[in-house]
Amino acid sequence: MGPGFDLYTAGTSWLHRLDPRTKMTFVGASFVLLLLTGQIILVLAYLVVVHAVLRRAGIPWRRIGWLWARMWPLTLLILILWPLSNPGGEPVLVQWWWIRITLPGIGQGLLAGLRVNGLAFAVYVLLLTTDQSGLVQGLVGIGLPFEWGLALAIGLRYLPLLLGMYGTITDAQRARGWTPEEEGLVRRARAYGPTLVALVIGALRLTDGLTLALAARGFRPGQPRTTRRPLQLRWADRVCLAGIGVLTLALVAAEWIYL
Amino acid sequence: MAECAIELEKCSYTYDGQVRALRNVSCTIEAGSWVALVGQNGSGKSTLAKLCNGLLRPQEGRVRINGADIRDRPVGSVAREVGYLFQNPDHQIFAPTVREEIAFGLRNLGFPGEEREQRLRSTLEAFDLTAYADRPPAVLGFGLRRQVTVASLFACGSPILILDEATQGLDWQRSQGLLDRLQERQDVGHTILFITHDMRLVAERANRVMVLHQGELLAEGPVRKILSRPHLLARASVSPPPVTHLSQLLRPWGMKGDSLTVEDFYLEYVALLAEREGV
Repeated sequence: MGPGFDLYTAGTSWLHRLDPRTKMTFVGASFVLLLLTGQIILVLAYLVVVHAVLRRAGIPWRRIGWLWARMWPLTLLILILWPLSNPGGEPVLVQWWWIRITLPGIGQGLLAGLRVNGLAFAVYVLLLTTDQSGLVQGLVGIGLPFEWGLALAIGLRYLPLLLGMYGTITDAQRARGWTPEEEGLVRRARAYGPTLVALVIGALRLTDGLTLALAARGFRPGQPRTTRRPLQLRWADRVCLAGIGVLTLALVAAEWIYL
Repeated sequence: MAECAIELEKCSYTYDGQVRALRNVSCTIEAGSWVALVGQNGSGKSTLAKLCNGLLRPQEGRVRINGADIRDRPVGSVAREVGYLFQNPDHQIFAPTVREEIAFGLRNLGFPGEEREQRLRSTLEAFDLTAYADRPPAVLGFGLRRQVTVASLFACGSPILILDEATQGLDWQRSQGLLDRLQERQDVGHTILFITHDMRLVAERANRVMVLHQGELLAEGPVRKILSRPHLLARASVSPPPVTHLSQLLRPWGMKGDSLTVEDFYLEYVALLAEREGV
């Protein structure tokens, strides 16, 4: 496991201090923009800006690198499979048997790979700079019932924990002579069954334990709740929200007018 | 001189280039010995154990198993010589039946069909698991799940066994049962490296102790010698068994201060009384 079981990186930067609802609005706007645009350069620019913002907020390169390492296998898969499954357009770069790879296919694959990373980093901006209570309050603040907010926040927080658990499970099977790397592609895919089953069992046990732990600490769905630190939109939030709104509208308009 | 089962030479390991888990650790574990690895949480015990079966590779130094460097060997190949029991049985269990769970390691290590079946049968019997053979291990209670993972480890017959807090969460009876089986393995010449916080267990079962502190090997030696050094143990946040502590408190009255078990203490105390009263 990399930098701990939680993505949240404690800090007091301007990004940490922003209201979670502002950051959620940023995530929503990012999704709209990234899914709407077909320009590689725009997605690249988005990623550069997001990285600059994260660095400015004091998120270390080491943690950003760890996130990229998690995203890399999926990105690679997209870069390989997309051109193979979208052989349309010209010019054709490779034509062999049923394989047809074209320049537009590669471009679309690159766009899809970058887009997936863009979407992930939009969510990372929220998760890296918002603590658990802020996340729950933010979700409740945008209209989710408290129980849903808590469930979603816990689910997001537990993703890195499951990754860590997967690493340990893999080690436990390797210690019993399990060597998937010595198999062919299909056999290797099948060989991962043991780790996935153990992961599901582990996750179910974890959920069960967590449910009991919540109940033991007095959590009862449907009960009215108070907050120690009520959310408040400050001037910095209003400036950011205005900026996000203007930028989103401008880019949507640009996409609509020019494409 | 006994053969060396595990040898670590100036091993260091750092997680993600920032958390230094082991610093320049050198040690040897003789074949046929039972070595307890103790130290506070985060002292590097599990890291050291994982270096011994190749799950982790030292960034500096080398690890030898039965005299051979394991640097270039895959974990699967090292598993023939070094069996590793993880702390949490749920990190291992996946098969639909206990039988298949135990057979998993045997198949991976390439045991032929007949020998596999024979090993499977004898392991199920030895661990009183025959009645559970066709049940899914995931739904068994914790004690039985732990038993299944230990059985799975023993079935492979690796001559070096590494156990990470294997008795944690087990009741006394199951715990003693597990330790007795390990004792049987040691009696036939297998080597045992046992990570634990239970100092009573260390006193009663181990031959030698290794004390880790902040990634460094603070001390290593026979159990009696190490456990009778309270200042050293305190430095590693480890406390001796209560009976050893009591024996140390009674040093001014003539006790040697190195009793490891209640029986040890009783015999020394009775001898001391007899000497004083001229019996």
